[in-house]
Amino acid sequence: MSWLPFTANRHGLPTPCVYALGIVLGLDVLCCHAAVSTRELANLSFDELANIRITSVSKKDERLGDAAASVFVITQDDIRRSGASSLPEALRLAPNLHVAQVSANGYAISARGFNNSAANKLLVLINGRSVYTPLFSGVFWDVQNVMLEDVERIEVISGPGGTLWGTNAVNGVINVISRAAQDTQGTLASAGAGTRGTDAVLRHGGPWGEDGSYRVYGKYADRRSTETAAGTAVDDTSHMAQIGFRMDWGSSGGVWTVQGNAYDGAEGQPAPGAIVTGARFTLGSIALSGANLLTRWERALDQGASVSVQAYYDGTRRTVPPTFSEALDIVDVQLQHALSPMGMHAPVWGVGYRYGMDRVDNSPFISFLPAQLEQKWANVFAQDEMTLRDDLRLTIGARIERNDYTGNEFLPSARLAWKVAPEHLLWGAASRTVRAPSRLDRDVFVPITPGSARFLLIGGPDVRSEIAHVFELGYRGQPSDRLSYSATLYHADYDDLRTQEVIRSPLTVFFSNRMEGSTNGLEMWGTYQATPAWRLRGGWTVQRESLTPRPDSNDQTTPLNVGKDPAHMWQLRSSLDLSGERELDVGIRHVAALSNPEVPAYTVLDIRYGWHPRPGLEAAVGAQNLGGTGHGEFTDVRTRSELAPSLFFKLLARF
Amino acid sequence: MTGAALTVQAAMNRPISASACWQALGWGVACALAVFLTIFPGVRGAQAEERATEISRQVKAAYLYKFTSFAEWPSGAFANATSPVVIGVMGDDTLADELEQVVAGRTVNGRPLTVRKLRRGEDSLDGVHMLFVGRVDKSRMAEVLATLKGRPILTVTDADDALTLGSMINFVVTGERLRFEVALATTEVSRIKISALMLAAAYRVVKEPS
Repeated sequence: MSWLPFTANRHGLPTPCVYALGIVLGLDVLCCHAAVSTRELANLSFDELANIRITSVSKKDERLGDAAASVFVITQDDIRRSGASSLPEALRLAPNLHVAQVSANGYAISARGFNNSAANKLLVLINGRSVYTPLFSGVFWDVQNVMLEDVERIEVISGPGGTLWGTNAVNGVINVISRAAQDTQGTLASAGAGTRGTDAVLRHGGPWGEDGSYRVYGKYADRRSTETAAGTAVDDTSHMAQIGFRMDWGSSGGVWTVQGNAYDGAEGQPAPGAIVTGARFTLGSIALSGANLLTRWERALDQGASVSVQAYYDGTRRTVPPTFSEALDIVDVQLQHALSPMGMHAPVWGVGYRYGMDRVDNSPFISFLPAQLEQKWANVFAQDEMTLRDDLRLTIGARIERNDYTGNEFLPSARLAWKVAPEHLLWGAASRTVRAPSRLDRDVFVPITPGSARFLLIGGPDVRSEIAHVFELGYRGQPSDRLSYSATLYHADYDDLRTQEVIRSPLTVFFSNRMEGSTNGLEMWGTYQATPAWRLRGGWTVQRESLTPRPDSNDQTTPLNVGKDPAHMWQLRSSLDLSGERELDVGIRHVAALSNPEVPAYTVLDIRYGWHPRPGLEAAVGAQNLGGTGHGEFTDVRTRSELAPSLFFKLLARF
Repeated sequence: MTGAALTVQAAMNRPISASACWQALGWGVACALAVFLTIFPGVRGAQAEERATEISRQVKAAYLYKFTSFAEWPSGAFANATSPVVIGVMGDDTLADELEQVVAGRTVNGRPLTVRKLRRGEDSLDGVHMLFVGRVDKSRMAEVLATLKGRPILTVTDADDALTLGSMINFVVTGERLRFEVALATTEVSRIKISALMLAAAYRVVKEPS
């Protein structure tokens, strides 16, 4: 096994950073002002129509269809019909993501390659809150509990988003956007049970004050333990309880949102452990808790201008015996201002500041030094969208982001969108993005024997940022009412990728940046409404990735990480509405083989059948991972969970 | 022990099937280009920037069009299997124009759609299947809705409390978004069936008669 301070286990990995100004307007800033014809609108589903903002002008009125980026949107309806019971499972709907399950709660999720624990290039935002941990630039997917029934949509952007979202949005951005409180009125209760575990949610929403609404919710989930292919029990049972609220109020004078969540739970720690140092130790159960509070104020100004301010606190606690425990507190403030269009120009600018206090309790097996670290990030960005012609938009922007490790990072991008016909968009983009070092890159120390003062791994005092130059060419079209599709070709050059260099005498490992790499790929997906009651969706991605150590590197393991990404993936989903308010969904997905560690290619089938026993009551039964006795998705066959076919039943009541 | 952890696994150095990958990529691009080239009848310019009210009107027109495909009229409502769905628009000619563009060339369940602009009290509502009542005062709206009670005409309004006046579908703005509410009891009296999918998308469904 290559030296991995953190295995992919239970950390999704990807990652990063920090400033998420763009989220305030969702994807809006990515796109444009191009007008939307009514004919196009008529092709949208009810859910999509209900998502169009109608009371303010310019930036907020846009559709994702006009964004010059590779965007896949997972709607509430898609989530419900997929039978997904967790956020990572819902993300499987995005053809541009590689979602690999390691154990009951452990996932590795990435876009455009680098799905390994050494490279973390995906940014995840939940309602504007970045869920990245600066400890290792990754996402702890096991604590990203979202009440899926209240999700409005999930925007999955593959490709760089550094200018709008900051360092570490290197290969993609995931925006989870929940419904406003006024859209979740009344009481909802849901319970699900299956071979993998049980879930229960309860939510209540009502009016608040003169022009406001609120909702409160609680959810509970537990997962049963899984087994490896050899039948060995995997220690991955878990239980997690979460409560939260959201309030929205205000009108033209400004719209306020306040939301908060708190969770507490525990889970087993599957072998080989969350941290692998080579030393032997007994793995203990992991304790998890956290709380966050976010407030946002948005106001539409005259002549198409708008301003928004967002601030949040996010605290997480994680105890992983016997290797480490961490308490992380983050405060993040950001401001964004869209100026009113001036002639052909529609500028947006913003500033952000983020403060983090990370306290690690070190162990004889691994240390983060200093154990307690204050970190500060600051950023400023500006972007101008120029309407060159009615059908041609050029968006140029740049962000400067400052971090404590590497100082200022420059993240520019240029996007050109050409509406070759009202329902056909051809776009191209060139971007420079950066993954800034995390504590794992710089501050980690592993003693030569547990408790020793001599270190085998001494971090990487000189680790720099990883840099990517990305070029994309995309096309999105809707040739008829019933057919829409998107295709994106990309090429990315990576430089200064992180490596693990070895000094022979005395034997020491340290992190450096001595690898180059490139990826070339194609992402395609489409939707075909065969009949009013039958919708088909398909997606296909193919990628070639290469990693080349520079001559001054003696790292022979990291370049093999290309074997953690599938060369291609595809999926097909059929959504059929039957008479009598019944619905049948079938999804099939295929992921090509991985070579490091070896994971055979697999094709699995998910089925869900839903019906309404009476008004206000929804029932669904389903089966997942059909097609064989089971399959593994990631990491070593000796420790990874074998995902066997599973059944579930769900009941949901609204009153 | 640590030594074991540091063992380098050169054996994993198996190249991915590059040629197969590129071949697939090539086909993908070829397909994309083929599709791209065949669907452009010609290049037309995109439209100018829209204003808020414009967007609101466009979304309403889109909804109105969609309602027709999710509603089921009683058997006698149409002369024959191909006779058109007639949408009457009262008090909002701009919306009617917008809607005309939407429905041009489209069909619903094999029926073409036509839009008819209606003057207050002047035009007959005979043959109309769906009626949108726009900017009219409340008493006038109540009067129109009262005369339609029990008739198989799907009524759509855009006013507060319109459901209590006898409207079947009413637009509501919530969270800066345009949604709609449905009075199920009223549609049942007129023997119009609303699809469960549409009800699921509704902001609110009122089941009891008002």
